[in-house]
Amino acid sequence: MPKAVRGVLVQCDPSIKSIILKIDSEEHAFVVEDLDDQTLVIKENMLSILKMRLDAALKENIKTPTDDEESD
Amino acid sequence: VVDQIRLWQIENERMKATPGFLFKEFENQKDYQSCVTYAGEIGVLVWKNETKGLFFVSKMEQLRDFIKSRKIK
Repeated sequence: MPKAVRGVLVQCDPSIKSIILKIDSEEHAFVVEDLDDQTLVIKENMLSILKMRLDAALKENIKTPTDDEESD
Repeated sequence: VVDQIRLWQIENERMKATPGFLFKEFENQKDYQSCVTYAGEIGVLVWKNETKGLFFVSKMEQLRDFIKSRKIK
């Protein structure tokens, strides 16, 4: 019998996928199956946490001059 | 603002998330093909890789019945 595994299919840029794999490598809590360079399956209940971690990682990576909103 | 736009783009364009089921470990290519074709016909097929014998569907009930009725091992 073929196996059916529940999860969320994530399709993204290879660059985004490599960040997801890096996040997962710390505790292996997210990825169920690594399918190809743009596709993977993650645990359903971990999607929102993964998105938060991804946002945080991207914010760290994006290098932009700090806009200081405080004016005299 | 630029950061926010970029993150928004990643959420909405560069990363697509679909809940469902990954099917794997088919005994032969013929069984795999018939399931992929059926999943496509009923509109639940999201992703497939023929070389690896894998595919992903958004719903599995009908496909499960199909597998049972065809006695796919």
